[in-house]
Amino acid sequence: MKESKALDPREEVERDVLAVLCRPGVKWLAAVALCAALVLLGLGLWGYQIHRGLGVSGLMHPVNWGVYITNFVFWVGIAHSGTLISAVLFLFRARFRTSFNRAAEAMTIFALTVAGLFPLIHLGRVWIFYYLFPYPTERHLWVNFRSPLIWDVFAVSTYMIVSLIFFYVGLLPDLAIARRRFSGIRKKIFAVLSLGWVGSLDQWRHYNRLYLFLAAFATPLVASVHSIVSWDFAVSIVPGWHTTIFAPYFVAGAIFSGTAMVITLVYPMQRILKLEKYITVDHFEAIAKILLFTSLIISYSYLVETGFAFYGDNVFEAEQFRYRSFGHYAHLYWVMIFCNSLLPLTLFIRRLRRSLPFLFAVSLLVNVGMWMERFVIIVNSLARDYDPYAWGTYTPSLVEIGITVMSFALFFLLYLLFLKAVPVLSMTEIKEHL
Amino acid sequence: MESLKLRPAVFYLLLLSAVGGIALAEYGGSGGGKGSLLVTLVFWSCLAQGAVAVVAITDLVRARWVASLKRELLSLYPLQFLVFLLFLLWTPRLSLYPWSAEPGLWLNEPFFVGRNLALLLLSSLLAALFARLSLRGDRRANLLAVLYLLVFVASQSLVAFDWVMTLEYPWYSTLFGAFFCVEAIYAGFALAGVASYLLRRQRCDADPETARKGLRDVGNLLFGFSVLWAGLFFAQYLLLWYGNLPEEVHYILRRTGSTSALALSGLFLAGNFVLPFAVFLSRKGKRLPAVVGGVSLVVLGGLFVERVVYVFPVLSLHAGVLFVENVLIIFVGMAAFYGRKTLLPRGGEGD
Repeated sequence: MKESKALDPREEVERDVLAVLCRPGVKWLAAVALCAALVLLGLGLWGYQIHRGLGVSGLMHPVNWGVYITNFVFWVGIAHSGTLISAVLFLFRARFRTSFNRAAEAMTIFALTVAGLFPLIHLGRVWIFYYLFPYPTERHLWVNFRSPLIWDVFAVSTYMIVSLIFFYVGLLPDLAIARRRFSGIRKKIFAVLSLGWVGSLDQWRHYNRLYLFLAAFATPLVASVHSIVSWDFAVSIVPGWHTTIFAPYFVAGAIFSGTAMVITLVYPMQRILKLEKYITVDHFEAIAKILLFTSLIISYSYLVETGFAFYGDNVFEAEQFRYRSFGHYAHLYWVMIFCNSLLPLTLFIRRLRRSLPFLFAVSLLVNVGMWMERFVIIVNSLARDYDPYAWGTYTPSLVEIGITVMSFALFFLLYLLFLKAVPVLSMTEIKEHL
Repeated sequence: MESLKLRPAVFYLLLLSAVGGIALAEYGGSGGGKGSLLVTLVFWSCLAQGAVAVVAITDLVRARWVASLKRELLSLYPLQFLVFLLFLLWTPRLSLYPWSAEPGLWLNEPFFVGRNLALLLLSSLLAALFARLSLRGDRRANLLAVLYLLVFVASQSLVAFDWVMTLEYPWYSTLFGAFFCVEAIYAGFALAGVASYLLRRQRCDADPETARKGLRDVGNLLFGFSVLWAGLFFAQYLLLWYGNLPEEVHYILRRTGSTSALALSGLFLAGNFVLPFAVFLSRKGKRLPAVVGGVSLVVLGGLFVERVVYVFPVLSLHAGVLFVENVLIIFVGMAAFYGRKTLLPRGGEGD
């Protein structure tokens, strides 16, 4: 990279942010190697499952949706908050978004990539995945459009496309800066990727319009897509699932878990890459408030759901919620309540909100709590359906646990690669606020 | 009319007279329309609590657009006390609820009245305190804003679950409470739109650029809330329709089964979603105070009709009584709005 000695603050921003793209250190390489090894291990386990069949998982009647669908919903949730955080904060002209938007948008794409794997892993016969799409066939087979699982296919793929465009459009001016400041092969790559951006008045006018449009388009899209994910459960007449609050509750849960994941990713990034000047404690405090707010929404949902289980004379709903609290998986339920509802209440205290190590610890536990929440919702309702004769329990197998670990490894691997591939902060937006 | 010099004692006398008038209309007349008071009560609780909630939210997120409308929105906080008194008037009619014949742990008259009165009173007190501190620019207003919003959510949830939903016990929808909270905030933004229109000259003379931006922001927020409202409405409707369970779907059928019911349902759908969405989609729609004010009034009308739709399949309504009750409250509301300079404390950013 061409070093600049000028003291111009705008130059300084470019220098600091692009310094992240310099030659990787041993720690980064070790982290990449570890994640890659875990991904390979997970792929091996998936191959084993394909070879031996879904019997190697713990899935068995009556619990046919287990850890794989838990992972799918968890990662879709993480994915949905990234763009939402970025787009909504942009629409509300919140300046602190500058510190988080690039990481949040990248997180969205990586989480969607990981989430997209799980329906395939869960399929068993993955080679016929294309049955999910409507295509002309001489057997006159057609997908069931009344099934929310098909709505999912369209919703998630639409969301992936919009998120990619949103991410890429936001990157354009920064890629042009990188093109200017690098030399050699990297200059050539950034030259292609920046699509001839020169920063003229006309380009900026079009860019601002497009970015505003994409933000306005992405916001309701995110809400609708995660509502559809919630309807995977809610439209079925299963105790604990068939409840009208599921759509907004899942959307709030997605923002909650995604906000936590952003903190999980950005705090180490700030420390290791020495970006304290650009990602300040004030910024973290602002995002901690979002975490607290969304925690209150989902706690409200927990309260309402539990209350209504005992409201009418529906014994099945009442039994489902009694089972959640005191049944086979009760310990997971109480971990969920602690991590998602009680622990975030500490963020009402300003001192704790501004303590970054504490906030990081809270974010990690919220991630745990949100994974538990998905598991509790999915598995409990299937394990305790209407007919006591059909009740049963489910324990994930080592294959499922290994593939779950792989999903996290893949997510972090992609994020590590992102750190060294493109500017991690929006330089143009930081410069705007100088 | 720019302002009204009104002493608090005179204003509260007016308020009590209005409550007396409503009591007379409700219990002194022919006795028809047992649900009129409930519609009035639910509608005005939404407006009175929503107006203050909007200011509390905007204070917490430090939104600048509300600064010039803060005093106007907060001027409606005394209506919460009026709602509290109206709820007392409603208590003799609790036997109309189907659960009253077989009271349970949650649904029994003493607990029903106790929890609702406590929340209404608490909300009213917190709103009064918050209004004073917020207008003075006191830093403690933020703490009160948080407390008020927590009580607001609890109170509006009970309005939804207790007052409205239990009319058709044991039917229930878990989204009802959250939906009412969102609607109350939506109503608060619609009131901001109406206030923008009423104060158009004063605001433009003071700072035309800020007035223009503020109007656009109100339009944008109304647009956003119209989409949010539609999303929540659809989320609830879809599950009931898709599930097609007799014990659930009868709720929709009773509200779409006749021509008049269908017309009313269509009317609030148009008022709460179609019109604000169509008008505020374009930039032009957000420029004119008359358009923003007009559409805001339609939104408020839509919210009122929606409450009529909730109640009328279960309890009979009397158009005359409904009219008298709401005109009296509008009269009190206008007095609070135009008397804000003398009724509310001076100083701070709200002025």
